Amino acid sequence: MTAAALDAAHEGLRAAGIDFVSGLPDGWQRPLHERVELDGDIRYVPVCNEGVGFSICAGAWLGGRKPALIMENSGLRVASEYIARISLGTGVPVTLLCSYRGDVGETEHWGIPHGIVAEPLLEALRIKYLVVRHVENLSKSIVRAKRISEAQLHPAAVLVSGDCVWED
Amino acid sequence: MALDRYEWLGRLAARLPEDCLVVSTYIGAVSFEWAHHTEEHHRSAHLGQMGDVIGLALGLALALPHRRIVCLDGDGSVLMELGQLVAMGEQQPDNLVVFVVDNGAYESIGWSGQGRRPTATAGRVDLAAIAAGCGVPYTVDVTAEDELDAEIDLAFSRSVCSFINVRTRPGHSHVRPRRTDGIEDKYRFVRYVERLEDIWITGVPPQDIALMKTRNP
Repeated sequence: MTAAALDAAHEGLRAAGIDFVSGLPDGWQRPLHERVELDGDIRYVPVCNEGVGFSICAGAWLGGRKPALIMENSGLRVASEYIARISLGTGVPVTLLCSYRGDVGETEHWGIPHGIVAEPLLEALRIKYLVVRHVENLSKSIVRAKRISEAQLHPAAVLVSGDCVWED
Repeated sequence: MALDRYEWLGRLAARLPEDCLVVSTYIGAVSFEWAHHTEEHHRSAHLGQMGDVIGLALGLALALPHRRIVCLDGDGSVLMELGQLVAMGEQQPDNLVVFVVDNGAYESIGWSGQGRRPTATAGRVDLAAIAAGCGVPYTVDVTAEDELDAEIDLAFSRSVCSFINVRTRPGHSHVRPRRTDGIEDKYRFVRYVERLEDIWITGVPPQDIALMKTRNP
């Protein structure tokens, strides 16, 4: 994640009113995890499994917090079990901020399957999402994802890629 | 000797602090029996879940650190996602107490002449030992009736993040099944939390609140 994208993502989380973040750091969004962990207005809960992170976020929402889960898109596959159980089953909103590994521009072979699965999986889980490839769109996209998440009582996602992560 | 589940859930319900919140396990006999003992009190969230109940309770405990949170889970559910215990041990919220109904069986799926399908706790797996290994400050494996009341009273007399595994006989009572689904249960729990905590969780968009304030100064 570029320095500008880091600032934009952090600004977006704060502007959206996110006050509770769980997640599993990945190579692209590691700086955001570090930034959020130091933000005194956001409770940060690191996990070793994105499904657990989703459950924790959902529990925090039941207690009145505004949660977001930050993870690589591979984590969507792990979290999908609990997204389906909790959010499709009962209607709980969590904002998802995902690195879009495997998007056009990917350099790593292991990221390709993550890119193949991510969008069909979001569709299957009825999760509305925005793909953000330009830094200037990142902050407002997070705000809008959180907004519809609250309105529909279901997760909404932002997939981060393009100029947000590469300076080629 | 392992305990009768319906009976010990009744003991837990009788000792439950009035101002606590409860996150209960999956739809099935445990949920039916707990709802029966607690007269469907809205302080209990029955969200039809499995594999994520401790995670939900942990998130709730972190969101409301001043409020005692009681989690009621089953062995099959805990085994489905052991990473929850890692997070619990890492965070150690002192307002969270987890009780596990450990009957060593996948009871809700029914049984045949071969008996019930066993969970791993019917073999060598010890959930309390796993929780301790994950860093949960207080863990105990309750196997005898005379231990149970003391463990419940201890859990509610202090503020220590606790994992209490209760070995239970397979079998269930014949209370009436619940009629609600996870969505209705979610709403009634959230409304209860809103009243209890005097907070807004969902239902009225913030712009509508602002609008009405404008028109009705």
